[in-house]
Amino acid sequence: MTNAVTKRPLFGNLWENLFGFDRPDSRGQRIFRRVFEAFIGAACIWLAWYWGEYTLRIGDIVLELGLARYIDISFMHGNQLPIWNAWLISGLIVLGFLRIDRWVPFGRWVYMVAFILLLFQYASRFVLGEIPHSSNLAGMGLLGFALAEIIYRNRTDGGRFAIGFSYFFIGLGYTSAAVSKLVARGLTWPDGRHLWMWINEKAVDEIARSGSVELNAIQQFALDYWWVATAFLAFGLITEAFAWLVWFRRTRYLAMWAVMGLHIGIWITMDILFALSVYEILLLGLPWAAFIDRLWPEKGLAAA
Amino acid sequence: MYALTVAVNLGEFWPFSIYPMFSQAGNPWSRSMVREVSPEDSISWEVTPLADAPGQPYGVRSGGVDPIDLANFVSKTEVWDQDRVAALSMMLLADPPKEPLRLMVYRVRARLTEEDSVAITATPYVLVGTDLDPDIRHLNPELRP
Repeated sequence: MTNAVTKRPLFGNLWENLFGFDRPDSRGQRIFRRVFEAFIGAACIWLAWYWGEYTLRIGDIVLELGLARYIDISFMHGNQLPIWNAWLISGLIVLGFLRIDRWVPFGRWVYMVAFILLLFQYASRFVLGEIPHSSNLAGMGLLGFALAEIIYRNRTDGGRFAIGFSYFFIGLGYTSAAVSKLVARGLTWPDGRHLWMWINEKAVDEIARSGSVELNAIQQFALDYWWVATAFLAFGLITEAFAWLVWFRRTRYLAMWAVMGLHIGIWITMDILFALSVYEILLLGLPWAAFIDRLWPEKGLAAA
Repeated sequence: MYALTVAVNLGEFWPFSIYPMFSQAGNPWSRSMVREVSPEDSISWEVTPLADAPGQPYGVRSGGVDPIDLANFVSKTEVWDQDRVAALSMMLLADPPKEPLRLMVYRVRARLTEEDSVAITATPYVLVGTDLDPDIRHLNPELRP
């Protein structure tokens, strides 16, 4: 009798780890794919309206970014176009989710058209000098589903591609954040005095927002002790530097929860909450499909 | 695709933006805040410590404005002409929580001192109000074109 123990590599084939096209499908995976798609669609509809309504109050362009560097985006200002665009984006996303391609030609392109219209919505909203990154993961998620619809005839493969696409860009995005910090400031980036500057910066933002500010206990603790502030920043930098571990199945959930910890730390110390990103990490950072399969096994597979 | 899109768009082509947030650690920063003033108040254009800025607290949230937009509008405007003052007035007063309302917009700057503290000052930039025509006459004299 032999004990044949197959030792799985920690980091296997990246493609297989991200997409897993050859892995057996399950009810849990099917439900999770649709839930994730619904979340991405709802998030993008919310963004379309949030940006659209804000754009109505923009009277001048301070700085063109993204698409606005090539197209005069001022045609979106001073009229109701942002609202019409929000309606259009919402309708297209709903039709995409309902699989409109079953009834009309080119129905598989609706997510991509919605994504392009969202680019216009974004470029017309963010012409005032700075672009936030809180919507990036949702936007990347929509692009993933848009590409999946166009590339894959088989919707199981398409859904797996879209989810793997999101994992890939989460890993790339956060890791590139660490690289940006190290390139700009080097190994002294986690110096606690830098956090002092940011805590004060966000305090001024809060004064601007509400008229007053009161620092929480953690912020005060970090301001009182340099080493505490340094520890916060060091944890953030290390987490980002290893975010690429989400690409691999065996390290994915650990890395995702470290990123979640990073967001909680940013929220506590700087009062910045990337809500959509946090919700997405909650969805992608736990084995929801396996939970569903455990609670509600498919007939015929339960005894397997 | 990522590298190509980032490279040709200075890192800001949503959703392919690079994540340079917080990379400029320790550098001086610039934000904005707003104080409510009354028509009877004398207007001073002097730089003051943050805590000494005259007027009453005012939160731009009450008018539906994102403070980050305000901060960038103020810090990234290079030429304060009539149109720019009008756009700022429209931003802050499109949905005023009350009328009449006069607001002094400050640019707030901070830097790390050699004594390891954060020094923060506020510079009055422009006065806007529901009872004032947006005009460069209401700009800090040092900013007038």
